[in-house]
Amino acid sequence: MSCEVVNQDLDAYVDRELDTEASTVVQGHLAGCASCRARVAERQALGRFVRSAPYYSAPDRLRARVAAQATQSRLSSRVLAWATAAALVVAIGGGVSLLRTARTPDDVAAEAVVDGHVRSLMVDHLVDVQSTDRHTVKPWFLGKLDFSPPVADLTESGFPLVGGRLDYLDGRPVAALVYQRQQHTINLFISPADGASAPIDSRTVRGFHVRHWSGDGMSFWAISDLNDRELTEFVNAIIGR
Amino acid sequence: MAARVFEATVLPHLDAAFNFARWLTRNDTEAEDVVQDACVRALRYFASLRDGDARAWFFAIVRNTWYSRVARRSGLTDTASFDRHEPFDDGPDPETQLLRQDTVVRVRGAIEQLPIEFREVLVLREIEGLSYKEIATVVRVPIGTVMSRLARARDRLQTTLTPTDPMETLP
Repeated sequence: MSCEVVNQDLDAYVDRELDTEASTVVQGHLAGCASCRARVAERQALGRFVRSAPYYSAPDRLRARVAAQATQSRLSSRVLAWATAAALVVAIGGGVSLLRTARTPDDVAAEAVVDGHVRSLMVDHLVDVQSTDRHTVKPWFLGKLDFSPPVADLTESGFPLVGGRLDYLDGRPVAALVYQRQQHTINLFISPADGASAPIDSRTVRGFHVRHWSGDGMSFWAISDLNDRELTEFVNAIIGR
Repeated sequence: MAARVFEATVLPHLDAAFNFARWLTRNDTEAEDVVQDACVRALRYFASLRDGDARAWFFAIVRNTWYSRVARRSGLTDTASFDRHEPFDDGPDPETQLLRQDTVVRVRGAIEQLPIEFREVLVLREIEGLSYKEIATVVRVPIGTVMSRLARARDRLQTTLTPTDPMETLP
């Protein structure tokens, strides 16, 4: 494997977009090539530098205008026409489309998780207890919940803990742990599981990536606008793989 | 009903849309206008979003809105040459000069100077954290093109930043 060939894959390697096999090949080359190692380090430094760029949040003025727009369009004839057409389609489609869109309890729960995530980001109430120390966050839930949520420190995996808060899903209190990757917030909702362990369910709801699984008597929902691959990385870190 | 679903689906990504638009336009007012227009379009085309990734879908609309604005304004069809017609900074004002050492200012300047086809993939990858596949959907080019643009964007940044500040000293 020559430096030139590795060079072609360098960015994909740094971005963790290579599959395991290709990634292993690059790693093999890096082990014996100081100049390629230096290039990787350079790219990583550049990445950190670029990510220190400002993140521009939407001004309140814009948010208000857009919300007003959407509300107004609810009443507009365009949407009424669209809704009429949609109603027709539903009527024609009949029972079949109803069956197809029947929502499982998990679908409903996933919607609630998305709402919880969005709410936590919008009302500026991300955490009740702000700490990167799990020994501070875990005891904080004592007396506030009738269960003790597992709190993991994932700083070494690149997901520093931001804190925790008490939230409600489906009318019952749950623990919400907040982790960060760069500018992306990850909410991890934990509540006691009713049933047995369940494998990881992946879905995308309203543009957010969502993971759900159960184990050790707890039910977990992880949600973020982080890309799919990195959220998988997060879940694997939580599960301890 | 459609509008309500729209609010629940698209509005949560308003910050991301504005951030992306702000990097495309390099201007607050312009970015606001682009996002507002994009929302109108998103509302109109909302029915075309099928269980897909609403965030990438919205990014694509923001991007199209900006590109068609620039094309309309300059009467151009060649999107790659936009930057020649966009004004560059008039040079640093005294306050900016004082802040020259500030990393944030330097990184912002370096990114803003990239041609738009490099800037957009870089911002989507590094700041918005999209995967190559998602970027390919937004920019509507093959993944291979995303990769080569990203590599060239980074090469350019490295060249811009290296003479005055060797990479070793970067944070």
